[in-house]
Amino acid sequence: MSNSSQAINSPESISRISALRLVVGVIGLLIGLFATMGLLTTGHAAFNTSSNLVWGLPVAAYVFFVLTSTGLTFVAALAMVFGMKDFYPIAKRCIWAAVATLAIGFISLGLEIGNPLRMLWVIPTNMAVTSPMWWMGLFYLTYAVLLVWKFLLVNKGDWSSSQSKVIGIASFVAVIFAHATLGSVFGMMAMRPFWFGGMMPVYFLVTAALSGLAFIMLFINLDYGIDQKNMSAGTRHAMSKQLPTIFAIVLGLVIVFTLARTAAGLWTNVAEFKVPMQATVTSLWFHYELWVGMVLPFLMMLSARRSEAKVQVIAGALVISALFIGRYEYVIGGQLVPMFKGAWFDDLIVYTPSMTEIGVVVLAVSLGILLYAFGDKKLNLSDAPTSD
Amino acid sequence: MAKWGMVIDLEKCTGCQACSTACQMENNRLPGENYQDVLYYTEGKQPTPSLKWFPRPCMHCENPSCMHVCPTKATFKTEDGVVLIDWNKCIGCKYCMIACPYGVRFYTDEKPLIEPNIKEVFKAEGGMQWSPPYKGPQQDNSHGVGIQPHGVVSKCTFCYHKISKAPPETADLSNDDPALREFVPACVRTCAPTARYFGDLDNPDSQVNRLISDKHGARLLEHTGNKPQVYYLSGGVVPGFTRPDKS
Amino acid sequence: MNIEFLKKAITRRRFLQATGATGVAVGAVVGTGGVSLSALVPLSESHAQETGADGETKVNKSICGQCPARCGIDIYTTNGRVHAIYGSNDHPIANGKGCPKMHLGTYILYDPDRFKGPMKRTNPKKGRDEDPQFVPISWDEAYQTVADRLNALRDKGESHKFGLFFGRGWGASDVGVNIVPFGQLYGSPNAPIGHSSMCSDGSILAKQCTDGNASYSSYDYHHANYLLMFGANFLEAFRPYNNNLQVWGYIRGEKTPKTHVTYVDVHMNATASAADRALLVKPGTDGALALAIAHVILTEGLWDRPFVGDFMNGENQFKTGVVLDEVSFSEKWVKGLIQWWNTELKDRTPQWAETVCTIPADLIVKTAREFGSTRPAIALFERGAHNHSNGVLNGMAIHSLNALVGSLFAEGGLAYQMGPAYGPAPANPDDYMDDYAKNGPHKNMPRIDLKGHEDGYLMAKNMFQEVGKNHNAGNPYKLDTAMFYMTNPAFSSPDARAWEEALKTMFVIDTSPFPGETAMMADLILPDTTYLERYQDAPTYPFQGFPMAQIRTPAIKPLYDVRTFGDSLIEIGKRIKGPTSEYFTKLESVENILRHLARGFEESPGDNGVKDYESWKAKGVWFKKPYHWRQVRGEFFEWDGKGWNKPMDAAAVKEKLLKTDSGKFEFLSSYMEHKKDWILAKTGRSPEKYNIPHWEEPQYTGGGDLHFISPKTAMHAEGRSANLPHAIALHQPAVGGNKQALAEVHPSVAKAKGIKNGDRIKIRSALGEIIAIAKVTELTRPDTIVLPFEHGHWAHGRWAKGRGTHVNTVIAQQSDRISGMANYYTGKVSVEKA
Repeated sequence: MSNSSQAINSPESISRISALRLVVGVIGLLIGLFATMGLLTTGHAAFNTSSNLVWGLPVAAYVFFVLTSTGLTFVAALAMVFGMKDFYPIAKRCIWAAVATLAIGFISLGLEIGNPLRMLWVIPTNMAVTSPMWWMGLFYLTYAVLLVWKFLLVNKGDWSSSQSKVIGIASFVAVIFAHATLGSVFGMMAMRPFWFGGMMPVYFLVTAALSGLAFIMLFINLDYGIDQKNMSAGTRHAMSKQLPTIFAIVLGLVIVFTLARTAAGLWTNVAEFKVPMQATVTSLWFHYELWVGMVLPFLMMLSARRSEAKVQVIAGALVISALFIGRYEYVIGGQLVPMFKGAWFDDLIVYTPSMTEIGVVVLAVSLGILLYAFGDKKLNLSDAPTSD
Repeated sequence: MAKWGMVIDLEKCTGCQACSTACQMENNRLPGENYQDVLYYTEGKQPTPSLKWFPRPCMHCENPSCMHVCPTKATFKTEDGVVLIDWNKCIGCKYCMIACPYGVRFYTDEKPLIEPNIKEVFKAEGGMQWSPPYKGPQQDNSHGVGIQPHGVVSKCTFCYHKISKAPPETADLSNDDPALREFVPACVRTCAPTARYFGDLDNPDSQVNRLISDKHGARLLEHTGNKPQVYYLSGGVVPGFTRPDKS
Repeated sequence: MNIEFLKKAITRRRFLQATGATGVAVGAVVGTGGVSLSALVPLSESHAQETGADGETKVNKSICGQCPARCGIDIYTTNGRVHAIYGSNDHPIANGKGCPKMHLGTYILYDPDRFKGPMKRTNPKKGRDEDPQFVPISWDEAYQTVADRLNALRDKGESHKFGLFFGRGWGASDVGVNIVPFGQLYGSPNAPIGHSSMCSDGSILAKQCTDGNASYSSYDYHHANYLLMFGANFLEAFRPYNNNLQVWGYIRGEKTPKTHVTYVDVHMNATASAADRALLVKPGTDGALALAIAHVILTEGLWDRPFVGDFMNGENQFKTGVVLDEVSFSEKWVKGLIQWWNTELKDRTPQWAETVCTIPADLIVKTAREFGSTRPAIALFERGAHNHSNGVLNGMAIHSLNALVGSLFAEGGLAYQMGPAYGPAPANPDDYMDDYAKNGPHKNMPRIDLKGHEDGYLMAKNMFQEVGKNHNAGNPYKLDTAMFYMTNPAFSSPDARAWEEALKTMFVIDTSPFPGETAMMADLILPDTTYLERYQDAPTYPFQGFPMAQIRTPAIKPLYDVRTFGDSLIEIGKRIKGPTSEYFTKLESVENILRHLARGFEESPGDNGVKDYESWKAKGVWFKKPYHWRQVRGEFFEWDGKGWNKPMDAAAVKEKLLKTDSGKFEFLSSYMEHKKDWILAKTGRSPEKYNIPHWEEPQYTGGGDLHFISPKTAMHAEGRSANLPHAIALHQPAVGGNKQALAEVHPSVAKAKGIKNGDRIKIRSALGEIIAIAKVTELTRPDTIVLPFEHGHWAHGRWAKGRGTHVNTVIAQQSDRISGMANYYTGKVSVEKA
């Protein structure tokens, strides 16, 4: 079925990583299940969200992971849509990782929604075309179907039939629309100046790409035991040459975006933008995000050691953490200023995720890890086409 | 068909919150779930501080952003101009709460404002949030009226269970007319200083239009384009947000 | 079926519910309407019952019970459940409207912590941490227990050791049965003792001392063009609150010309903000402000000459600091103006007042000119002004402004309240007095509160707050048995600890439907119905003067095995030996009494056609406009059926309106003159000034550097909302207190003490300290901490208990020596971060 010449004998470091992945996944699952038991007994009262701040950590996690999925699809598309052959060796892995992160996002959101099952019939039957969220759902669903379809084709060894190519292109287009509508879910909200802006989909696009790249920097290297010697020549080439460069460029763009957005927020007189931004920049998290999570990896990518697996793992991990903080700041920040609450709530809304909310994310992430682990064990993710 | 709207005269409003408690009683709301809220703001310094307030129901916008963002059309606008939620369609995504510029929506699957949790004291069965002994006889899930089920968003209905029964062609619903009093929204009916008026915005002869004309009715946050069907008279400036400890 | 078995099972169940009230958690057990047996069915079962009901909504007319304003209400009941309460359209106070409290009634009715039936205490130890271990008893046993104790006391000649204490607003007559005859027939000076000295006796005495009427006033706001309010929080706490709000909408939004309002208080609140001018005075100095206003009115010649009189030569001779000859002025309806001027007013300039009350002199002058030149004008005041050691003096000074501008009994002025045309009660207590009642040893006993006693408060109407202290000291004696109706002194009295101690050493009968602090100290619980489950009458609280009587009818049968206090009192009365028993047998029941009272309407049908008991019940109110007397340009007239056409001579005015010795408004109080020696001895006031409105520094208590003010908020519901989560969540909207009341702290104080918003702070006085949550705000003066009165219960239900802290813990027990008014707002405290 697949071309075994690309298969790598698993050295010890790789099996250690894969065992670790399983252990982390299982432990995470148990912790997640335990922490989300509150959902069964008290429902969403176990969340620290409220009528004043309605979207909490699970939504931030949803945004983070579905955009990561988007980014991973971008990377896969480098080979499968744009013909950058060096990326073929990681393409299948990217697609499967995209499936896993998408699953994480959907699980996280599903546990956050009041009546998730009801979506199954009320969304298709009502055609609420004015809602960005409806379009987002449509595109993410399309994307999810195409993504899985594409993976199934690739898994059968069908890398480049015309059908496979069309599906690949279609999934790439779908994900662009999906992430754009996700950006619009926030960016169209004029009543939330912290989020508002026509360029928000573009911002989402760039950060999505970065988060996909960062995942690859981290996880592909981990998959190969943080040792590029374990990689095929093609993979090694992609990982050591093109990727760090693309990663650095996109990271640089995101840094510019972040600084520009921060400056605009601090400068403006619009309280709903300014005050949450002030609160953001006075927090240590922001400075970690900016300096440690973005500027430092950027410098690392400028250095000659950017091709080293260890450096890439660290840079990838730092950027992932920064992006997660950024998503959280963004989703929460837009809701911090109370809306018409008078003296009842006259300061920024105080929100810290509850154990249950953290549990929801842990649960979703560990299910994603296990899904990925399953793929890694059973689906020959390092496969690549031979003929081209 | 009427286009129902409300007029609130801030010069007459005493900030007493009778509208809030009448609404809570009529619509069986939870503590802190203020469909109708009275919001107070303090500015200035001693000995001349300024204390302002205004009552805030749902604005029942002509162009409701909450409705536009709803992915299931659970939030809808009735023919008579009222924004309602169909609890049978609501999936609890809370996007409408994000999109409402006036903060009028509630998702009460949350930690109770007041402990012990009254929902635990008056427990409900069958997916409803609670079952207080004083609950009203009206229950209409498809119009978001009554006790809300779990996992859905709730909001002011202009007392739809009352106004929807008003005789056709009624220009204004006022407590002063004994024949109409049962059709008047609770907040309007009880308002002791008669700071609230309720009537047909499409009828140029209605008292609400007369008041909007005479006393320069203004709407909150006009720039959002939502076009509220609630008008304020004699003021209505909401102070911008500043953090209390960092002025 | 074995009925006995069923009864036992139910009793056991009720026992569980009853003990639940003391803190043991029990599930939600709330009854439906219906008889007491079905009342014990848990909620889920009662749902099943509901489905068989007809679904029709019934509306009955009744009266609200949350404050003494007595608004007519329409109660909506469907399937045996009360689910809505609105103001009655055809009720003169409510006019179809409601205050925020009105709608809380459904929650009060279905308060899950209500007592479910009569109980007795089995734990002899009393204290905050002692579970009373109440066990259910039958009503018969409950009544007999009380009667046996009372009969035993009477047999020993110690009937004075029984006290019957009643609370807010419902007066001695309108608890459903007149409670005064109970003490009269049984023989105790302490039955009843009302709580008025903790309520608002300060204004009653101020009026009695000046115009001879020991009463709150009625007001004609609709025709007034200027309102000058001192500490009567018109839009948050002053009564009749619902009607005040209606008045506000009218005078500010509809009336032409718009009524101008100046409001005096110690912090910025809704009324101060809504008024045209807010004067934020230093606590306790309202009198100085009023005196300065009087000074300006006189020096600028703004007084109402037809009512007050004028100088003989027609020229204004009031000049600051200049002593005048008494005979130079010809007084019309006032007495002692020149003496007042000479001994006090001539030096009370706005500049002087500024140094006392901190209001800039130019604002005082402006206010005085407006008040003096806008007719009709009303100066009104309540607790804010008179809850101080100088309270009666402040009140007299303020009320004197009404005389200066001629607003007494005038259109757009203020007057007093007429009583309803009731028929005679079923029995006259005078016919049932036995020898013991007439001449027993109780006749020579002082009241436990030393009201009317030289050693105590000679001029006070009641001294409720002294009872605990006096009992503990055995001075004049100790009570044996005390019964409480609608009052909870173990919580609401200043220095409530003294009351708490006293309750440990007497047999306590509490009749509250709710498990309050006094109930926790009780030996016997005779739970009353709530106001939605009972018959009751209520002549109006002073309103617009015309007579009015409301009737309360039950919306549903009592939810539990509880009984209206009036009926309980009758049942106990029936068990008292001698003719007392006959008297109460004759009364029969509250409903029977109401039927008799309503007979008065036959001869005097109301404006709304109420002419008998049935029409009274149907309409909910009997009233007959107008108020019968009016002063027009210094002449008094009486209503003749068509108009105020009948001129009144001086004797008629004295008899009916200005009930002083002189038959005039007295700046020189004859009422006080009668007690001159006592006043001089007890107050140390000078013989020249003791009976005229004058400035005296208030005696602040507590020893701190900040004034401590504990106002009521609109949601306070006069103490009836403490266990209502819906009310708690709306308690203090101005500063956002929605879990518990927040302490308003001025930023300058906060800065000095390092206090931030939301910090826990210690508020300390000589009596002790309480913890509060700070709200740093410009609403309060830099020298004042404001913390509304409401929370700090150590009982009273699951939501009340343990919430916030109790302001009275740090407020010393000091009373105005003249009025006996408790000085709630005179405390001083220090604060620091906790």
